[in-house]
Amino acid sequence: MIKFDRRQLLATSAAFAFIASIPRVALAAEHETLRVGIGGETGDLDLLQNVSTLSSYTVVFDALIHYGPGGKLEPGLATAWNIAGDGKSISFDLREGVTFSDGTPFDADAAEWNLKRWMGVADFSWIGIADAYESIVKDAPNKITIKLKRPVPAALLELTIVRPVRFLSPKAVDGSGKQTAPIGTGPWIVEKYSSTETILVRNDKYWGEKPAFSRMELKVVPDELARANALRAGELDVIGGDWVAPLSPRRAKALEGEGMVIVAEPGTATTILGYSPKSPVMQDKAVREAIFRGIDRAAIATVLFEGFADPTVDIFPTTVPTAGTRHEIPARDVAAAQAALTAAGWTGGGGGWTKDGKALEIDFLVSEESFPGSRRIAEMIQGMLTEVGLKVNISSVDNATMHERRPAFQYDLTFFATYGAPYDPHGSLGASFVTASDTGPDGKIYISDELDPLVQKALETGGDAREAAMQAVYDWLATNVTACPLVVTKRLWAVNPRVKGFSLPATDYDLPFKGITLG
Amino acid sequence: MRRMFLRRAGLALFLMLAATALTFAIVTAAPGNVAALIAERAAGAGADGEMIKRIADELGLNDPLPVRYVHWLGKAVAGDLGESLRTGKPMMDEFAERIPVTALLLFGGGVIALVLSIGLGLWGAVSNGGVVDRLLHGAALIGASTPNFFVAAMLVIVFAVGLGWVPSFGASGATSWLLPWFTIALFPASVLARVVRVNLQEAMSRPFATTGFAKGLSRRGVLLREALPNIAVPFITTFGAQFTLMIIGAIVVERVFGLNGVGAFFIEAIRFRDFVGMQAVLTLFVVFFVSVNLFVDLIAMFADPRLRRARRA
Repeated sequence: MIKFDRRQLLATSAAFAFIASIPRVALAAEHETLRVGIGGETGDLDLLQNVSTLSSYTVVFDALIHYGPGGKLEPGLATAWNIAGDGKSISFDLREGVTFSDGTPFDADAAEWNLKRWMGVADFSWIGIADAYESIVKDAPNKITIKLKRPVPAALLELTIVRPVRFLSPKAVDGSGKQTAPIGTGPWIVEKYSSTETILVRNDKYWGEKPAFSRMELKVVPDELARANALRAGELDVIGGDWVAPLSPRRAKALEGEGMVIVAEPGTATTILGYSPKSPVMQDKAVREAIFRGIDRAAIATVLFEGFADPTVDIFPTTVPTAGTRHEIPARDVAAAQAALTAAGWTGGGGGWTKDGKALEIDFLVSEESFPGSRRIAEMIQGMLTEVGLKVNISSVDNATMHERRPAFQYDLTFFATYGAPYDPHGSLGASFVTASDTGPDGKIYISDELDPLVQKALETGGDAREAAMQAVYDWLATNVTACPLVVTKRLWAVNPRVKGFSLPATDYDLPFKGITLG
Repeated sequence: MRRMFLRRAGLALFLMLAATALTFAIVTAAPGNVAALIAERAAGAGADGEMIKRIADELGLNDPLPVRYVHWLGKAVAGDLGESLRTGKPMMDEFAERIPVTALLLFGGGVIALVLSIGLGLWGAVSNGGVVDRLLHGAALIGASTPNFFVAAMLVIVFAVGLGWVPSFGASGATSWLLPWFTIALFPASVLARVVRVNLQEAMSRPFATTGFAKGLSRRGVLLREALPNIAVPFITTFGAQFTLMIIGAIVVERVFGLNGVGAFFIEAIRFRDFVGMQAVLTLFVVFFVSVNLFVDLIAMFADPRLRRARRA
């Protein structure tokens, strides 16, 4: 018979108790940790550098105003705001009792210090409110007023963007003003970050609704298939989002069939086929119209995007504010496309078109690297346009060549995408449809002397007249067939069934965590 | 011996210089504008033509290529490989973090390739035309012809997703290395197993093998005691070549398994046109290739006195 003395019995019991507790500890940790796959490292979250991934800022740093569904402005670090009648000053009531995660109070001093880091600074003149900045007045310990040289109708929307407008602890910089740590007022605090993962812990002093779980691990998995496999293996809970860890429609379909929850919500960015405004052949409206009528958008949405896209002929979807009235999506009509060409003096037909002895050939610039999946879309469009009799040559290039050729208008057709919420519609209109703005490698969707004043007026008009001014731009673009919107891709995420209450935030630049509980 | 070593080291140095000059020229000639990328990093959508021009002037990007190369080389020799345009970190810091990951991947893969190739090559030679020999021949052909991204996906689906024995990505413990090691080792192991098998077959027809048999040794005894030591030189040189080629496999394997090594960094550097990062990694690859080859040459010389004598002559 085995005999135990008291000491052995205690030791054995303690050992059993320890072993028995291990799964519970592991399980408890699992209930408290959301593991999110990210495509690239988050970086140091420096608010003035364009390096770190945008989505990671949003959980750490707050803005004065937050972007809600459909562009509704929601209180953030400002509880109320008021734009003066002349549009040249905006006053903000700052939320009281808020502290940065290092204990520094958020007040008018901290707000002024933050805003002066980018307002009136040349590098950030692309933000209207930064370009028009005149001064900041501290009206009270929790009230500030931003004075502007001219009205900026999109000012409030601009204050919802991620970088550089969000608020950093004034103590989180060195002597030269360089950010030393990502210290914000947001719901999460960066515990540590590396090139493989970023660990976030809940900010228990957060002013808003606190997350239901205490830890979020952002795991870097650059390869899309590897992310899907990690989700299947239960090593990740959430993957997806164009700015977090892109998930292709085909992969989403496969995961859906394997019991994962697929969340697909209407997108905020439009994929557009752009006609070069400098290409001689694209100067002919009939050619643009033939392309516009010759494409089957529904087929592209169904076949290439597996149904995770909505066909469109409008520049902006209704998920962004002042997107304008909807235009009817025409059914693909080869005969109408050919009739448009014939009416414009082109001769020929399904075998090819000529005018003044010159054959109609279209150079279609495509970069799979800069727009994944674009090669397949281009090939499908090529097939559709061939039936109209248009000869389309696809130039498949790398990202750098795309960045050189697109701004130089060295193409007839190429793909563009609007920026999406919270940057639109003012962001894409001001950058991609105005001749004077310098957008570097992004190029222009369409520009013309006739369009410039219309866009300028729309961007400068505030209040009730803004919608009509925007509509004038959309109508001009549609009437002149200046661009060929194709689809609005859905925002795609795949979620492990253990994650409950998953819903998408208003923009692709936010990480989803609100309302989530872990089973 | 010392003179020979110095001569080889001098040749290696020359090779490194020539290779870095060539890669510098290729990277510089690639489409894309470094100044535009830096401006974009600093100002995002606010990067305009004027800012790009100012940066290009500051960095000397308009200088002639030889001037730029000498400027880069001077800094590289002093240990400054520049700052990554993608991450903004000094390349030496990136390497300090990433080289240990790649080194562990290559070391583990190398050990597996070494053990598997000798073991399977010997097993095939013992079988000598039997079923095992033929099966191993077929397996080696398949192993050498299967792309490593496919191998990785299959291994993950079976062992991580299906059986749940190992993690599917990341370096989170000893087991997390098993799949990357086997993936990266499969190609060199397959090639080297055939090298061992073929060289053993040839060695077994040599007079010293016949003498071994005459002395009463079994086939296995002759293989192990007489033939195996005699294939050391071709095996070492082929192993060296395969080991250096594993760095190319690492580029894919690290990405697929989410390992933050030099290979994964290189892929991202190419995607983002991080010219500084690309040049630094290519320089590291050049140093790795040349150093491993120099090391292998020296080992082969030590292993075979005939080579030493031939070089002296």
